[in-house]
Amino acid sequence: MKQRITGVGLVFNSVKWLLLLSLLAVALLPLFWLLVSSLRTNLELQTNPFGWPEKLQWENYAKALSMASLPRLLLNSVVVASCAVILNSAVTAMGAFILARERFKGRDVLYTLLTAGVLVPVISFMVPYFSFITKTGLYNTLFALILVYTAVNIPVSTFLVTAFMKSIPRELEEASVIDGCGFLKRFTVIILPLSRSGLVTAATFCFIYSWNEFLMAMLLTSSIESRTIQLGIKFFSSQFITDYSSMYAAVIITIIPSIIAYIFLHDKIIGGLTAGGVKG
Amino acid sequence: MMKKTKLLAVLLMLCLMTGLGAQGQVDSGVQKEVELRWASIWVGNDSKAPAVEALVNEYNAKNAGKIKVVIEPQPDYNAYEQKVRTSLAAGQAPADIFTIKFNPTTATFYQSNLLMDFSKVMSNSWKQTFDAGSLEQSTVDGMLKSLPMETAILPIWYNMDAFAQAGVKALPTTMNEMWAAFDKLKAAGITPASQMTGDTNAWTSMIWFSHFAVSLGGTNVWDKPFTDPAFVEAAKLTKRMITEYSTSDAVGLGAGGSGGHFLAGRTAVFSNGPWYAGRADLAATPFFNSIKIAGLPAAGSTKDFMISRLQANICAASTKDKAKEAAILDFMQYLTSPASIARIAETSGAMFAIKTDYRPVKALQKQFYDVASAAKTTAFDLEAALGAEVTLEFAQQLGALALGRISAEEFCALVDRKIER
Repeated sequence: MKQRITGVGLVFNSVKWLLLLSLLAVALLPLFWLLVSSLRTNLELQTNPFGWPEKLQWENYAKALSMASLPRLLLNSVVVASCAVILNSAVTAMGAFILARERFKGRDVLYTLLTAGVLVPVISFMVPYFSFITKTGLYNTLFALILVYTAVNIPVSTFLVTAFMKSIPRELEEASVIDGCGFLKRFTVIILPLSRSGLVTAATFCFIYSWNEFLMAMLLTSSIESRTIQLGIKFFSSQFITDYSSMYAAVIITIIPSIIAYIFLHDKIIGGLTAGGVKG
Repeated sequence: MMKKTKLLAVLLMLCLMTGLGAQGQVDSGVQKEVELRWASIWVGNDSKAPAVEALVNEYNAKNAGKIKVVIEPQPDYNAYEQKVRTSLAAGQAPADIFTIKFNPTTATFYQSNLLMDFSKVMSNSWKQTFDAGSLEQSTVDGMLKSLPMETAILPIWYNMDAFAQAGVKALPTTMNEMWAAFDKLKAAGITPASQMTGDTNAWTSMIWFSHFAVSLGGTNVWDKPFTDPAFVEAAKLTKRMITEYSTSDAVGLGAGGSGGHFLAGRTAVFSNGPWYAGRADLAATPFFNSIKIAGLPAAGSTKDFMISRLQANICAASTKDKAKEAAILDFMQYLTSPASIARIAETSGAMFAIKTDYRPVKALQKQFYDVASAAKTTAFDLEAALGAEVTLEFAQQLGALALGRISAEEFCALVDRKIER
């Protein structure tokens, strides 16, 4: 049966859609502008920032790919971000399991100490990280970035995953003990699978950080072989002159993997965030 | 599960192999060949990058098996400066050779023992190839821990087509003539000047302010407190330029927008360094051949000067390894030789602190050389003289000044607070 729409309902619906469309425009317009600008010349951009391209400049993309060695940097970013996520998830899952499910003296102090790292600005770690990485001979390697990104994300991941693991009913674990599960099996068979949403949320934050990070990558690497995509974007900006259109083309290329990852994982990301929000 | 484990194993292997590969590059210097790492800012889009790369390749070919110079690209200057600071704080030089913008902020690097003091190792004949003034400006407490390389003058650019359109045939020689010319431009529907308060240094307007301040207070004006009447008057003039003779978006505008107005012919007067002359988009403008490069009419008693700066200096790590030290000095002499410098200048249009017979063929670039040699004296711009932090405050408060939220006196007092004495 069709529901009758009253006048008030119509106004309400119109306002609702207008508001939603406005928010959509606010979110998408900068991306659209970036896409259009990546197909214009620098002169067009400087003389009229909000115009349309006279002729589509696909060569900006070719320049972006060739000049800054973007394919290599893209591969490096994928390796660094993926490895950092895996390493961070592994470390955090084990740490959070102990902090959330085991009872021992000083547990709360340890948890507070670990998660307090969220409040410390990363820039304050620059000198110690630089010293550590150079003294261990890891300077200018991808492994240096993997280690640092893993470490930097431990506080926030621990905070998220511990809160998630705490919310799992203790009865499940007790039942598994009765069924003969030891310490390792309790973690791998019971708690870890149930914490998947929390881990995906933490992994998402770690991936985004590792993908976007610039300063540490600049500090700890010196050659194309070990640099990441964010440094490639800066390659179009020299001391005096910036090639904006090629830079925007490079930005578009770099955000494509994030968008693809989000398309495939968005249900898990949103699920993890909302579940964490309710249970945490 | 099996698939996931395999994927994990492949990723870890890939990461380790790539990591080791990159590490191997650093370690290759362990062999007899001396490897010099040069953290260079002349890379990527920089107009000097192709010539510098070619010179390094030629040097490496000539010294094969003995010395190898490896360029480490540093594409983002601000982040790179942070890297230099961090590595020095950690007790290490950022590379064997590295380029910096010389200003009071980077001059603090001289306090580090990690930098080679060229005053102790330079021969007289090598020293004489440098412009004496630039060498002196790069010397701090008797130490010469960076060699002046790139210099720049920061003149005013006049689009004479626009001036002709407004009925002005010659460059203004006095301030009154300038205001009159600007009024005529306005009447002809042309905005007189590109001004801006955005970015970290309000670049274009900072150059105008520097011209005004030096003319009003003399070439040593930067040694005076910022509350000096010369600065207050310069602030008033800059405010007038922004509010009466610039585009309506000048407050908050960045260097790209400021240059864009000039390129589009919306403004008739602009200010920038010689690197802007080599732009393809500038050459494509219909008024390219009518651009005149000159100073500003004197606002005070100091005349015939030009605003200049040391744009890039080159440093080296101090080392106890005699072979490495010799290799560094050999490469530095090669790089700063008049022949090498002439090649970099030829392709980039940049100006250098090393004396050469090179004169640009292109008319616009040639004007820069002519203006530089015609100037009786030079003085630093605000950023070069007072450093990045003071300039950032200048830029932030310039917007407030232009909007009338603070007076010129208050503006100067706010900037003055940032000067370390």
